[in-house]
Amino acid sequence: MTSPRARGTQAPPRRFFWAQVVVGAAFFLLAARLWQLQVLSGDHYFRKSADNFVKELPLLATRGQILDRKGRVLADNRPSYDVYVTPRFFTEDSLAELVRDLHLEVEGVESLKAKVAGKHGLDRFRQVEVLSDVSRDDLAILESDSLALPGVSVTASAHREYPEGTLAAHLLGYMNEITAEELSAHREQGYHPGDFIGRSGLEREWESYLRGKDGSERVVVDAKGRRKSDLEASELESLIGGPARIEPQPGDDLETTIDLDTQRIVENALKPHHSAAAAVIDVETGRVLALASWPEPDPNALTGHLSRAEMAALIADPARPLIDKTVRENYFPGSTFKVVPALAGLESRMVDPDERVICHGAIQFGRRWFHCVEPHGPVNLHLALVESCNVFFYGVGDKLGLDRMAETARDLGFGAPPGLGINGEVPGFIPTMDFYKRQGAFQKGVVLNTAIGQGSVKVTVLQLAMAYAAIANGGRLYVPQLVDKIVTPSGQVVQELEPRLRRVLAATPDELAQIRSALFDAVNAPKGTSYAARIPGLEVAGKTGTAQVGNHRVREAAGSALADHAWFASFAPARHPKIAVVVLVEHGGFGAKSATPAAMEIYRHYFAEVAPQDAPHARLTEGRRGSPGAAQPR
Amino acid sequence: MINELRKLRAQFDWFLAGAILAIVAIGLVNLYSATRVAPHGRYTQQLGWESAWLVVFTATAAVDYRAFERLAYALYGVGVVLLVAVLVGGKVVKGSSRWLSLGPVSIQPSELAKLAVIIALAKLFSGDPMDLQLRPWRYVAAALGLLGLPLLLVMKQPDLGTALIIFLIGMTVMMVVSLELHVKLLVLGGEAIAGVAMVLFKLHGYQKKRLMTFLDPSLDPSGAGWHARQAIFAVGSGRWTGKGWLHGTQNQLQFLPEHWTDFPFAVWAEEWGFLGCLILLGCYLFLILWALNIAAEARDRFAQVVCVGCAALLFWHVFFNIGMVAGILPVVGVTLPLVSYGGSSLLTVMIALGLLMNVSIRRYAY
Repeated sequence: MTSPRARGTQAPPRRFFWAQVVVGAAFFLLAARLWQLQVLSGDHYFRKSADNFVKELPLLATRGQILDRKGRVLADNRPSYDVYVTPRFFTEDSLAELVRDLHLEVEGVESLKAKVAGKHGLDRFRQVEVLSDVSRDDLAILESDSLALPGVSVTASAHREYPEGTLAAHLLGYMNEITAEELSAHREQGYHPGDFIGRSGLEREWESYLRGKDGSERVVVDAKGRRKSDLEASELESLIGGPARIEPQPGDDLETTIDLDTQRIVENALKPHHSAAAAVIDVETGRVLALASWPEPDPNALTGHLSRAEMAALIADPARPLIDKTVRENYFPGSTFKVVPALAGLESRMVDPDERVICHGAIQFGRRWFHCVEPHGPVNLHLALVESCNVFFYGVGDKLGLDRMAETARDLGFGAPPGLGINGEVPGFIPTMDFYKRQGAFQKGVVLNTAIGQGSVKVTVLQLAMAYAAIANGGRLYVPQLVDKIVTPSGQVVQELEPRLRRVLAATPDELAQIRSALFDAVNAPKGTSYAARIPGLEVAGKTGTAQVGNHRVREAAGSALADHAWFASFAPARHPKIAVVVLVEHGGFGAKSATPAAMEIYRHYFAEVAPQDAPHARLTEGRRGSPGAAQPR
Repeated sequence: MINELRKLRAQFDWFLAGAILAIVAIGLVNLYSATRVAPHGRYTQQLGWESAWLVVFTATAAVDYRAFERLAYALYGVGVVLLVAVLVGGKVVKGSSRWLSLGPVSIQPSELAKLAVIIALAKLFSGDPMDLQLRPWRYVAAALGLLGLPLLLVMKQPDLGTALIIFLIGMTVMMVVSLELHVKLLVLGGEAIAGVAMVLFKLHGYQKKRLMTFLDPSLDPSGAGWHARQAIFAVGSGRWTGKGWLHGTQNQLQFLPEHWTDFPFAVWAEEWGFLGCLILLGCYLFLILWALNIAAEARDRFAQVVCVGCAALLFWHVFFNIGMVAGILPVVGVTLPLVSYGGSSLLTVMIALGLLMNVSIRRYAY
């Protein structure tokens, strides 16, 4: 140290001083950066690191059941096997193997490829659902072949099932996968991609009750997405920062007013026909016991996978299986509408029930001839309804005018949706003078045609049923009721729905009794239009209708695409009405030929199997003998 | 004997030893946590190395450094031969041939090359200072030659991190020896240009990608950028006091890449927080400043340059490793001295520390 040589060889100490300053500055820089990351942005990165390992798995809520009025299940859930693919481990070979195992079509393969190809980065480790609800046979094949299928797994989940098949298909509706637009629109309601959502019928309208609330489970995963289950519960909670599991709340069950047996009876009665619809209403409450549109699509097929070809076939089917013909379709009511001018005439006292008109089979107004089915001879209001005389009602229509008829029609609920609440009810149409003035095409003829349910009058099957139920029960027009109760899975009643009266008709009880009497004789008097189709002892009161299809002169044979639609609107038992039944057979020809027999079948089975206590003969055996008083022909 | 021990106690550098022990202790605590999810045996393997290299450290400190001075070019030659050997017969791992099997053990000659360069440069610059003043370019040319040969061999492997460290050590040494300022500036400028050129032309595909993703991490959020991003999440999420030992989620759930070799600092930062980081940074800062103090007090020019070289080695390793983890420098494979897992890098650092101790013990000798 003291040797001059040693001192001479030493670099000046200040050199190391500056080196030390540089080192110090560099360390200060590092410390400053750490301060920035850990102190200034620490909370931000803490959340980021938590996002890394906390994975939220949805716990899907069980969808509520749809039950009939006696608690029998119409819509249920069953396990379904869904195929998932983890893109990171999914190879060309396993794709080929999957296609071979499941016999996938080109369309399916393309959508599968698209689902897998869209994933990048960490998303490639996440499972993607590629096929839902494969059959048990396919499941067995996939499981036995799992070694050749890297990246493919099968998971069980709940799938909607309609145990009665097509029964009440339009009422129940169906479900399918939520679309991207719906997903963004309903984000707050907690929908996830791949969820199913009610598409029509009760499934759609009562979605919010049936659906329940999904829960979630937050789990800790490592960088490869593997779930860490060996962590202690307390450590897990501290990592996740809250409860790990939120239990799902199952959806509520819907107890409907539908009676499974009655629905089946109705559908069996419609089955022989190409295209038909019917409604059965409890006249005392407006509850819908059965509502059927034939043919019906299978909701199980619609809820599962339907190929494009199958869907196209359903849409192209001339019998329109996807349309609910009870509420969604307008029809000319034909002669079933004659109760409207009849009631309007009585209410307004413009028609004397005893006044007789002679029907020669046709009548001339202006330069046009208006036809009847046959010359009826002298008829009064009662007989005109019984025999369905057009000539008489042309006169009534002429006397009342369009607007007076429209008033009563609206009073009976026509021209506005009845309020069933599903499947987008159409309002029908009741023409007024105002309408024709705006159209600029008013002719006297439209008034006459309106009186016999042609012209521009349009009604729905359900409207007609509600109107006839109101005539049957003495003038109370109800809102059709389909849902009776909403019940939690544990049996607690969430909401109980009461029958809702829409209005009390303007007609007096006596006037309605006159109509009922005429409707009774229309079935039970030898000259009545439905006499030939009656079943003795059922005491049905009802009116046939034959609605022209298009503007043709030639009468086509029943079943032809141009044949008239056949109607029968009715209630029974005539003296103490319990149910109203309306049947429409598209292209069925004369009402009495196809619609009335179908309705009679419904009554016969209903009073024999569903409600024997309500059957007319049941009361007969109780000692109330004699024909119903209100049904005496005048 | 007693006398010699008493003398050793008086001359022994307790501050240097203390700093080393503190860092080793931190490293072992941290590595225990980092290797919990690693393949089995890493931790005991590291313990084994540390014990074995303690012997090497003691031996390096015990032998008079003038022996190293005499054998400087021979040691340098051995280093170069090993580098050539690894290129010819080394194991190829992940596209690089870095490992040389010597019987049961594998070593990375590029690690030892750092020491060879330090000793050779020290020998070169320990000559007559007047000669250095008169003919600076001769020395600069010789230094560049001594530096360039191993550098090219390492880049050939390729091992970007080690090449970078060798380059920086050489540059640092030339900045502190007695050369005129203008010479230094010219050398600095030339080396900077050469460095940039090499980085641009010699980089492997994955190295280029790493560099590009460092410049713009959004280029590839799940590939090369993913590692860097996860390391930053780990560091940042440690906040003030950390998540606690063995409770770092980024670490335990394996979101950190290669975290026992290149990213142990991320584990430390996550589990011990900013305060823990300050402690570790403080230890390193003290160690490096102390190394420069030893250099300043060294008896001769050779010892002085060796100490500066060793300090430079420690400094650049620490600066690049932590800078890389903290996201201010690109991801290059540079280990954290005494904390990273790995036998070869640990051996290099232990020998460097042994050299420092050697010089420190002998600063008042003769």
